[in-house]
Amino acid sequence: MTKYDINELYDHTQEPFHLKHLLTDLGERTIYDAVAQCNRCGYCETVCPTYMMTGRETISARGRNQFLRLLIEGRTRDIGSAEESFSTCLLCGACTSVCYAKVPTADLVLEGRRSGAGYGQSFAARMAVDMLLNKRPFFELALKAGFLLKRIGLSALAGKLGLYDFIGMPALKTAQSSLDRAPLKFLRDIFGKDASLKPEGKKEISWAYFAPCGPNYVFTEVGLSTVALLKRFLGEGVFTDNFCCGLIAYNYGRVTEAREFAKKNILRFEELKTLFGDFTVVGDCSSCVAFMKTYEQLFTGDEEWQPRAKTFAEAVKDILEVLPAERIKGRSHDAGETVTYHDSCRACHGQGIRSEPREVLKKLAGKSFTELPESEWCCGGAGAYAFTQPALSERISDRKMRNIASTQAKTVLVGATSCLLQINAGLKEKYPSAKAVHYSVYIDDLTKQLT
Amino acid sequence: MFKYHRFEKVRKELENIVGTGNVFTDTAELLMYSYDAGMARAKPEAVLLFTSIDQVAPAVKILYSAGIPFLPRIAGTNLSGGTIPLKGGVILNLTLLNKIRQIDTVNGIALVEPGVVNLRLQTELDKFGFFYAPDPSSQKVSTIGGNIGENAGGPQCLKYGVTSDNVTRLEVVTPEGEVKIWSFDDPGPDLMSLIIGSEGTLGIVTRAWLKILKKPESVKTAVAAFSSVESAIDAVARIVGAGIVPRALEAMDKISLNAAKKNLKTDYPPGTEAILLIELDGESDKVVSKELRAIMDICATCLSTYFKIAEDPAEREALWAARKGAYPAMARLDPNVMVEDGVVPRPRLPEALKETRAIISKYKLNAGLLFHAGDGNLHPNIIFDERDMQEVKRVRKAGYEILKSCIRLGGSISGEHGIGVEKRVAMSWMFDAPTLDFFGAIKTAFDPKDLANPDKILPVAADRRAKERLFEHDLFSEAVNALIAELRLRAVGGIKSLIRGTGTKFPKNTAVFNAKPLDTRALNKVLDLDRENFTVRAEAGMPIRELKKWLKKDGFDISMPDLEGTLGGAAASKAWPPMRDILLGMDVALADGKILSLGGKTVKNVAGYDAMKIFCGSMGAYGVILTVTLKTTLKAGPPGEVKDPKAPFKPEDHHRRLKKALDPENLLNPWVYES
Repeated sequence: MTKYDINELYDHTQEPFHLKHLLTDLGERTIYDAVAQCNRCGYCETVCPTYMMTGRETISARGRNQFLRLLIEGRTRDIGSAEESFSTCLLCGACTSVCYAKVPTADLVLEGRRSGAGYGQSFAARMAVDMLLNKRPFFELALKAGFLLKRIGLSALAGKLGLYDFIGMPALKTAQSSLDRAPLKFLRDIFGKDASLKPEGKKEISWAYFAPCGPNYVFTEVGLSTVALLKRFLGEGVFTDNFCCGLIAYNYGRVTEAREFAKKNILRFEELKTLFGDFTVVGDCSSCVAFMKTYEQLFTGDEEWQPRAKTFAEAVKDILEVLPAERIKGRSHDAGETVTYHDSCRACHGQGIRSEPREVLKKLAGKSFTELPESEWCCGGAGAYAFTQPALSERISDRKMRNIASTQAKTVLVGATSCLLQINAGLKEKYPSAKAVHYSVYIDDLTKQLT
Repeated sequence: MFKYHRFEKVRKELENIVGTGNVFTDTAELLMYSYDAGMARAKPEAVLLFTSIDQVAPAVKILYSAGIPFLPRIAGTNLSGGTIPLKGGVILNLTLLNKIRQIDTVNGIALVEPGVVNLRLQTELDKFGFFYAPDPSSQKVSTIGGNIGENAGGPQCLKYGVTSDNVTRLEVVTPEGEVKIWSFDDPGPDLMSLIIGSEGTLGIVTRAWLKILKKPESVKTAVAAFSSVESAIDAVARIVGAGIVPRALEAMDKISLNAAKKNLKTDYPPGTEAILLIELDGESDKVVSKELRAIMDICATCLSTYFKIAEDPAEREALWAARKGAYPAMARLDPNVMVEDGVVPRPRLPEALKETRAIISKYKLNAGLLFHAGDGNLHPNIIFDERDMQEVKRVRKAGYEILKSCIRLGGSISGEHGIGVEKRVAMSWMFDAPTLDFFGAIKTAFDPKDLANPDKILPVAADRRAKERLFEHDLFSEAVNALIAELRLRAVGGIKSLIRGTGTKFPKNTAVFNAKPLDTRALNKVLDLDRENFTVRAEAGMPIRELKKWLKKDGFDISMPDLEGTLGGAAASKAWPPMRDILLGMDVALADGKILSLGGKTVKNVAGYDAMKIFCGSMGAYGVILTVTLKTTLKAGPPGEVKDPKAPFKPEDHHRRLKKALDPENLLNPWVYES
C-alpha cells in the first residue's frame, strides 16, 4: 500500500495502541502517507483558531502536521518538545475543511499525543475510561452524589471530596458551577423504564436513540427533546441503551478501550438490526455522533470488525441532519428575538453538516434567524480543552462571544454539549442577555403544541 | 555552539523589547520555522514574535550590531524558499502586526500593517465599494507584507499592474534598524520601488500605503474552449491586439482542466485542449458587453469550440471554479505540487508551452499548465512526492529547464514568486557579471554586513560557477557604442561628465563643475516596435514627442503626456512619476562604462532587484540611460500634470550610499551630489 514504510513515532510493540491506518478523504492511508499529503500551502492557517490567536506556526495546523512528520521520519526524536504544539490543538478540524487534500490533522495530532510518554496514563484518564467501560453503576452513583451535593448547595464539597477526580472527570469541578441543573435521574434511568421506547411489540422502527454522555449524564432535557422530536417527525423508534461512544477514551489516547466501547455499541446495534432491519441511529451530541461515524477507522486492519464498524457508522446520524425541513411546522418564534446558530466543530468539520439545520431554522424562525459571523469558529470548549488550556480557550471563546454579541441574539443554538457548557459559561460572564440552547430543545419547544 | 552564544548575548536586550514570552529558542519553535511552502530547509537560532510595530526597529538594530542575521516572516507561503534562514539567525515573526490602520476612499489609499492577509483587506474594502488590485492566487492566506516582499501579481494585474504599481508609500526598517518612509514620487531615486520585490534583503516593511480603486460598475466573465493551445493563445493576442484590456485573461490546458473537472458543472466539448477565462470590467454594462461581443467574434475567428458568458454571480463563480480548482485538484493527485513560475513575452507563449510540455514529458513528470495568458506568465503545476529523491531531482531539473526556455524566449525566471534560494542559480543564466555585481552593490549599500535575509536572490559563489548565460544584450547602435567608448575613456582619465539631452533639465552654470558635456541626442533611434507584445524599445536620446509622433503613424501611443525633453531625461528626472507603470526595461551605462540590461519585454518580472527604478529620479548621477522599453497602448496618452523637473532634491543617506557604490568618483552629473 505504501512505498514508505517508515514510522519512528512509536515502537512497534505499541502498535495495538494506535490506529493502523487512517481513513482519509483520499482513501485508507498509513499515518506517514496521510501526513505527507500536507504540501505546506498554509491555507489551514487562515482558519486555525490557535494560530490566529497566537500568530505562531508552532501552534498551527501546518506546524502540527510538520512536527508529526519530522517525528515519523525520525528527523527529530524529541517528542517532549512537541508537547505544546500537540496539546494546544482544539481538534476542531477547521484545517481539514479548508485543506485541498483534506489532511486529517486532528487524527494525526492524536496519534502524536498518544506517542508521548505517559499520555493517557494519568489517573483521570484511566479512571474515567475504566469507570465508563467496566464500572458504570459506580460511576453513575458517584456522579449523582456530586450532583446531589450541588443541589443542596454544597458543590464545593463534592470537589473537595475528590468525587469528580475519582471518576476521572476533574473538569467537572469547574464546569458544574455553570450548570443550572444537575440531574439526579439520567436518560438511561428514564428511557430504560419507558415502554414506548422498548423493542418489545414493535415490528419495525425508523430510528434508535443513542444517548451520548453529555445528554445522558448532564443535559437530560436535550435527550428528552430529541426523543420527542424523533417520535414527532420520524415515527416509531427505540432507545439503544448504549454505552459511551468511546470518544473520551479515544481523545485520552486510549485506543484499545475506545475499541471496546465501539464493539459494545456495535453489538447492541446488531441485536436491534436482527430484530428490525434498517434504521437510523440518532445521537444529539455532534462530537459523539461524529466519532461514531468514524468507527471504521478504529478497526483498520481488523478483518472481522472493520466491516461491522462500517455498517454501524453508515447508520449513524446527527439530530441536526435528520429533521425533515419540508415537513416541519410549528408555532413561530417570538418575533423580535434574534436566534442564531453556532456550527459545532464536530458537526460542520466532523460531519459536513451545515445547510440542514439552517433550513429547519429558517422555516421555523423566519426572519428572526440571523447568521452568526464566523459561525464555524470553535467555541474553545473542545471537550476538556477549556480545562487543560484555560488561557487560550478563553481567548478563543472571547471571539465567539464578540460575534454572538454582534448579532444581538437572545438564543444561540448548538449541536454539541461541550459547546453548550462552554458558550453558556462565556455568555454568563460576558454577554448575559443571550443563552446557548441545544438545537433539539429549541425545535422541540416550537413544534410541540402542534402535533 | 558559537551561534548559540551569539544569540544568548543579546537575548536579554531583545526580551526587553518584545517581552520575555515572545522570544523563542526551544526546539519546537526552531523546527517549525525551518520550512515554508518551498523545498528548502534551514533552522533559525531564535524566533521573535512582535506585538507592536514599534518593536521592530530597535530589535533589528540590536541584531545588526551583534552581527546576527535576521529575516521577516509572516504566513510562510513562499514558493521559492525566501523565508528560510540559510545562515541561521533570527526569524522576525510579524504575523500579529495585522491591523488595517486606515481606509481613505477620498484619496484612494489604505494604510496597513504587513501581517494583513490580502483577502481580508479585500473584504474590508468591499464594504466601501473599493478593491486593491493585486490578487495573487494565494490571497486567502498570503499577506500584504509577503506580497510586497515578492512583488506579487495575480490575474487582475494584466489591467491594474503588479504590487509595485499599487503601492504609493512604504515605511521601511533598514537592515541597520533605522526607520524610513519612502514614496515613489519623492524627488530623487525611487527607493520605495527598490524595496518592493527585494524579499527582505534590503529592509523590512512595517507600514504600507496602498492604492485602492473604486470597484467597476460592471464586471462580466466569459469562458471559451479551444481544440488547440495555439488557437487559444492566438485569441489572446488578437484580444489584446484589438486594444481590449481585460481584467483577467487566464488560460489552462487539458490536464489542469481534467484535474479540476470533478467540481465543474460545465462540460466542455470533446477534444478541448485549452480554455480561456476572460473577465472584463468597465463603467457600464453597455461598454463591457460591447467589448465582450468583440471578444466572442475574435474567439470564433480563432475557431473556439465553445463560448459562454456568465449570466449571474453564481455562474461567474462556476466559471472561475475551473481556474481556481486546478491547483487544489492537482494537490490531491500527489502529496506535493511545485508551482513553477516563468514569464515570456506574450507572443512567445505557444513556443514556451510546447517546450514546457516537452520538458515535462522528458522527465516523466505530470503537470497541469496554468497561465496568466494576458501577460505571458506560465505556472506549470508539477506534482510529485518529495519523499522520492529521484523524482525530486527530476522535478528540479525540469524546473530549471523550463526557466532556461523562458530566458531563451526573451522572458524571465520569475513573474511573481520571487527568486529566494531555489532560483538563485538561475540568476546567473539570466544576468551577466556586471549586472549581478550591480545587484550586489545595491545589497551592500543597504546592508553592509549582509545580515538581512542573507544568501537570497543573488547567486552565491557556487551558483556563479555554474555559469551558462542564455540571454545576450541586443546589439547597440554605433551612436550608443560611441557614447560607451567615450564614457570609458573619461573614466580612465577621471574626467567628469554632464549628461545632456535636449537640454531641458541641464543646469545653467555648468562651468563650476569642471566637467565635459556628454550629449545623448545622437541616441535617437527606435530599436524595436513589437506590435503583438505592445512594447517599444527606443534609445534614450529620443525626444518623447518624436517617439509619440512616430508611434501614432502605426496607431500606437504610450501612456505619457507630451512632455518636453528626451525619454532618458524624463526617466532620469522623474518628470512624470507614473512613468513607472509603463517602464519595462532599460539599458544603462555606469560611470566606468559597464553596461546593465535591466527589466525586459514582459509586464511581470521579479528576477533580481527592480533596479531600473533607482535610475528613475537619479538625475543622471547613477548612470547614463541608453535605451528604454515601454509598454504601448492603442489609446492616446493622458494629459497629466508635470512636475517641475528642477524640483529640489536633497539626497539622503541611502541615495548617497548608492551613488558611492555606482559612481565613487562622482564622474556623472557631479552637481547632484555636490552640496
